[in-house]
Amino acid sequence: MKKLRILLADDHVVMRTGLRALLERQPNLEVVGESENGRETVELAGSLRPDVVVMDVGMPVLNGIEATKTIVGQNPATAIVILSMHADESYVMRALKAGARGYLLKDSAAADLMSAIQAVSQNKSFFSPKVSRILAEDYVRVLKQRGAVDSYDLLTAREREILQLLAEGKVNKEVAAALNISPYTVETHRSHILEKLNLHNPAELILYAVRKGIIR
Amino acid sequence: MTQETQANRVSSQARNRVRAGSRAALSAGFGAVLILTSIICIDSLRTLGAFEINNAQIRQDLLYRERTLGQVRASLYESGNIVRDYILVEPDASAQERLRTELQSIHLETTRALQACIQSLPAAKREPFQHLAMELENYWSTIDPIFAPDAKEKMKQGDSPLRRDVLSQNAGILAITKDVSAVNDEELKEADRRITEVFARFRSRLFLVAATAIGFGLILAAATILYAGRLENKAEEKYQESLQTQRELKELSKRLIDAEERERRAVSRELHDEVGQSLSALLVDVENLIETSSGQSAFRRGLQDIKMLAENCVNEVRNMALLLRPSMLDDLGLVAALEWQAREVSKRTGMIVDMVEENVSDDLPEEHKTCVYRIVQEALNNCSKHAYAKKIRVLVSQEPGRLRVCIEDDGKGFDPSRMRGLGLVGMNERVSQLSGVLEVDSDSMKGTRVRVDLPLPNASAGREN
Repeated sequence: MKKLRILLADDHVVMRTGLRALLERQPNLEVVGESENGRETVELAGSLRPDVVVMDVGMPVLNGIEATKTIVGQNPATAIVILSMHADESYVMRALKAGARGYLLKDSAAADLMSAIQAVSQNKSFFSPKVSRILAEDYVRVLKQRGAVDSYDLLTAREREILQLLAEGKVNKEVAAALNISPYTVETHRSHILEKLNLHNPAELILYAVRKGIIR
Repeated sequence: MTQETQANRVSSQARNRVRAGSRAALSAGFGAVLILTSIICIDSLRTLGAFEINNAQIRQDLLYRERTLGQVRASLYESGNIVRDYILVEPDASAQERLRTELQSIHLETTRALQACIQSLPAAKREPFQHLAMELENYWSTIDPIFAPDAKEKMKQGDSPLRRDVLSQNAGILAITKDVSAVNDEELKEADRRITEVFARFRSRLFLVAATAIGFGLILAAATILYAGRLENKAEEKYQESLQTQRELKELSKRLIDAEERERRAVSRELHDEVGQSLSALLVDVENLIETSSGQSAFRRGLQDIKMLAENCVNEVRNMALLLRPSMLDDLGLVAALEWQAREVSKRTGMIVDMVEENVSDDLPEEHKTCVYRIVQEALNNCSKHAYAKKIRVLVSQEPGRLRVCIEDDGKGFDPSRMRGLGLVGMNERVSQLSGVLEVDSDSMKGTRVRVDLPLPNASAGREN
């Protein structure tokens, strides 16, 4: 089996060393490079073509989110796991918008990194359980605070099914194949879902799914 | 008492002193000039009045004397006529008697009039009149013998010395009256001369007083102008001083704000990037150790404890760093930081905070990002602390060349013209440093609205859409 090629991007040597030690114990992983700022990461991602980039947010020269945007723009197949100190929606949302598929908290990096790399390499989303929990709590709190109706209740059973598949990172064609329906029908459902939930892009859809605990 | 109010009081006292001093100087100057002018007026009027009375008196006296002289002349003629009649008329006892009485009454009247005139004169001027009176008495005494019983006969016989006497006396007296008249004329001329003299004196006195007044007025005016100028200079100095102080205070507060922000950022970054990251790395290492350690449950438990401790530390450090200065502001931009803040405030206080952004670019200048962030932070703080608001709306919008911020709440409001806490002052300070405008509307019915309008430097004229 082909080993997953990993690029580690963090401006802290101690952090990189720790993560490398962690990853190198896994037989199916290979750390192909390390970088200590955003620009270097973009360059290495271009030359090394890693399967997964583990990316710190706060880096000098170019921060992790901007670097993610550039790398995904150049090579959409590159899966990116963001490492952050913050479980805040602002970070998660912008990471997703930039094209990251995984979002890990640094204080639980060691525990979740393997699962995250596995998930994103299979084109799925992954969030630290703590992030999912906090986002879900925030969501419930806001709903309660405003006395608003949970728009999830407006979705039909089929729409919920499709929402979950989309949130896991599947494209229309894959969803169509999984449910044995036409991609056009999936697209129609998709636009209904976005409208009902007042969402505007795939990143918001994933964030919503995380908040609702549909994906973890 | 604070230093500021004390300084205010001192400066207001100084201002009052200066004001009182200038007022006193001005009133003294103008008062003196007014008094001088009044003195000139009153003096002139009085002199003129006295002169008028004097003049009239002189004219009247002269007229009176002239009249007396006229009377003397008339009585001479009349007496001459009577004498002639007496001599020429037929000897008729009753007619003779009538002429005699007539003559006597003329004699009496003339003497009385002359005496009255002499009495009215000052002693120095009596002499010509006394001479006249004497001559007149002589004349009368010359005439009296004519009326003696035998006189007529004598005259008829051609004894004319009597007649001659009478006639010569008559001519003498006429000459005297002429002399007296001449004296009178002299006196009139003298009076005229005196009038001219008085006028001249009056003129020179008027000139003197007026010159003094004008001179004094000029000196006074000069002194007043000088004094007022000095006061003005003093006031200007004070004004400049206070301006300078104001500038220095502004500069100081700017430096204070800058320094505070710099320190916060430095400490925040240190906490977040160094302490936080190191703790995270520690966590990874501990996790590594836990993974590799087999069995040895006490050792593993120890590691688990260390891990938990480190996790807590990471959280603590992260929260501290965020409080000082949110990393979003530097990592993700203003909007992300504001959204985070809105969520945090909402979570902490239960208020509903809506954060709306329109067209705000991610690469705003550093000071603008910080300014808006701190203002929104302060406003939200005020809303939760003082306004008891339920709902807050934060709107940040970017237009070409400017950034607008509006924070509205539905709280209890306040009177912005009377209450201006340090929070608002600080907000204003930050905004004015970027040449912006801060407006605060508050109404107890509608809540408070804080609006900020910041001009943007040309480089960040707005996001391309």
